[in-house]
Amino acid sequence: MAQTQVSERELTMSRAMVEAVAHEMRENEEVFLMGEDVADYGGIFSSTDGLREEFGYDRVMDVPIAETSYIGAGVGAAQAGMRPIVELMFVDFFGVAMDQIYNNMAKNTYMSGGSVSVPMVLTTAVGGTYNDAAQHSQTLYGTFAHLPGMKVVVPSTAYDAKGLMHNAIRDDDPVVYMFHKRLMGLGWMPAPDGPKTGVPEEEYTIPFGVADVKREGADATVVTLGLHVHRALEAAEALAEDGIDAEVIDLRTLTPLDTETVLESVRKTGRLVVVDEDYRSYGVTGEIVATAAEDALADLEAVRRLALPDVPIPYSRPLENEVLPGADDIAAAVRDVQ
Amino acid sequence: MSAERVAVTVDEYWPADADESESGVVTNWFVREGASVAEGDTLCEIQVEKVSADVVAPVGGTLAEVALGEDAEFDRGDTLAWIEPA
Amino acid sequence: MYEDMVTARYYEERLQEEYLEGKQPAFDISAGPIPGELHLAAGHEASGAGVCIHLRDDDTVTAPHRPHHVAIAKGVDLKRMTAEIFGRETGLGKGKGGHMHLFDPDVNFACSGIIAQGCPPAVGAALAAKKRNTDSVAVAFLGEGAIDQGGFLESLNFASVHDLPVVFVVEDNDWAISMPKERITDVEDGSRRAEGFDMHGARVDHDDACDVYEAAEEAVGRARDGNGPTLLEVQVHRRMGHFMGDAEGYRPDADVERHQARDSIERLAADLRGDGVDEADLEAIRSDAETRVDEAIEWAKEQPEPDPEAAHEDAFTNPPNGVTEEEPAIAAGDGGGDD
Repeated sequence: MAQTQVSERELTMSRAMVEAVAHEMRENEEVFLMGEDVADYGGIFSSTDGLREEFGYDRVMDVPIAETSYIGAGVGAAQAGMRPIVELMFVDFFGVAMDQIYNNMAKNTYMSGGSVSVPMVLTTAVGGTYNDAAQHSQTLYGTFAHLPGMKVVVPSTAYDAKGLMHNAIRDDDPVVYMFHKRLMGLGWMPAPDGPKTGVPEEEYTIPFGVADVKREGADATVVTLGLHVHRALEAAEALAEDGIDAEVIDLRTLTPLDTETVLESVRKTGRLVVVDEDYRSYGVTGEIVATAAEDALADLEAVRRLALPDVPIPYSRPLENEVLPGADDIAAAVRDVQ
Repeated sequence: MSAERVAVTVDEYWPADADESESGVVTNWFVREGASVAEGDTLCEIQVEKVSADVVAPVGGTLAEVALGEDAEFDRGDTLAWIEPA
Repeated sequence: MYEDMVTARYYEERLQEEYLEGKQPAFDISAGPIPGELHLAAGHEASGAGVCIHLRDDDTVTAPHRPHHVAIAKGVDLKRMTAEIFGRETGLGKGKGGHMHLFDPDVNFACSGIIAQGCPPAVGAALAAKKRNTDSVAVAFLGEGAIDQGGFLESLNFASVHDLPVVFVVEDNDWAISMPKERITDVEDGSRRAEGFDMHGARVDHDDACDVYEAAEEAVGRARDGNGPTLLEVQVHRRMGHFMGDAEGYRPDADVERHQARDSIERLAADLRGDGVDEADLEAIRSDAETRVDEAIEWAKEQPEPDPEAAHEDAFTNPPNGVTEEEPAIAAGDGGGDD
């Protein structure tokens, strides 16, 4: 990993996120949080655990189940100069409120010629692996990254989660902060090894648009994000036993996108595998491959992409396992391009 | 430096909303064996049914031994870890 | 009604047991025979049974993420529904939908996982009935936490302005997951929302199946007779957490006890006894219901898991290229093509 881990203390991703939010709320009275079940429950995925106890109901607000109103209200409060953090419980529920998200939150800065800012963070839970079916399991990275005007953040470790959250809250633009449920470190949904990391007690920011090379390697470039960073690292370990040395790049933010790190790696390895938990068509995998093709075509020897086939996410375990790329699928794809 | 090792037991941290259960599981450790801890530092997280509770260091010192690691199951009365007081 | 209610209650108790298998002492959502989340409706039975008894197979019902009691009362195939909940190949949706997404077109039942999502489709079913001049009706079930959602409010307006044969049934169990009703809405009686849309509104403010029966008879009758929609709110009670594994740390013990004490099934049984029904007859109904439920669960667990390859099927009804594979030739000069 690029960062040096100095802390003896380790945190889960959810605790790292909460620590950053709590710090910003202590420092800045204009920061407040609202969403469904964020107060007493502490967020269904523990993304706001303990905040109501410290800051009270006025700054950690449960809201009516009416996403258009409260996400739109977040936009309004942000334009009034406050710094709301608004939680959309599952990203799948975006459809209820997408008008406020993409026609207001994302566009008002541009339409106003830069005279209006929307310093708002929209946090939302993404991802499958626990059989919650088509309306609660999507990642939708591509959907949000496709629409201009929103910065899109996808942390994969506690260290990244905290630094990216500090940056998100301080950023003057709308940031969509997409956290994968399986990475949060919840007892009832155990995380793989990896997302729990050392996390400094003090504040720090991680800039947007800087991908992190989570593992260096010379034989293939695996570009991914979120949960699949850890599946790719697992695949890389297996590949190493066969003498194949895979580099794993964690994009960390989709908008802005760090194309330079990707291209540099592709120029080195010549082989590109892109792994995404979103749908295959018109999404992250296609975007990364297109970027590589545009700017490093001469260096590209082989390309593969792994993503969800273009079907809604099924419920039953064998069906969901079929459509979600696993570590073995990633290893097979890397072998395939050798 | 002959202070007795202090046991950290599950009973004190048993979540009130799960008081009918007799067993649980260790979900996360936040401190590694051998690390120094201050009194009140969160050591680990336990879960009974679906209720989580944080376990904090009763004294400052060194986390001398983790008796129940991540994913280990426990019953009432079990010891999670031993702290060697500073 | 009593039969539907005891079937639903026993069904939920059995599902709870099955769901928790393999989830103790560690509650891991991915362990055990039932995949995913499970939202149980114990305490809501009076609403499902008291409304659906007035419905025919050709009437449409949409239910929310807490659907089992409504599905049972609507006559959804219990075995195939159970197989779906266990994620099996012979389930209603071949294991693709799961417990929040049950579809049984034979009795026009569907449910879905997002708040108030079933309201517009119920309005659409009612619109179809009106356009076709049938006397079918549609009923949308939702929770009291859903009454602030745009999809619900817009549906009220659409149904009212077109006088559609639809009934909105709000099941008020006082809680939207961890959020008590008074924290998120200022209206104590949700049926008052009807006034603003110039439609009929009624509330059954205690958990009584017979009162629900009467209120629903009027509302469904009004719809069937072409006299427009109704918003009916029914007080129910929540005997369990929002989903399985919800420890309800946010909920005072006294509230749980208050809800447990208002058991609509016991109340109905007492009414029936008062009307001279033998305890033996009630016991026979309960025992038959338990047998049916046990058989359905046993059957479901014997069903095969789906073939993983099946994940790629069913995204479309017609082949992806549409209803035809052939494109007609167009004479030169006719179209915008450049060849």
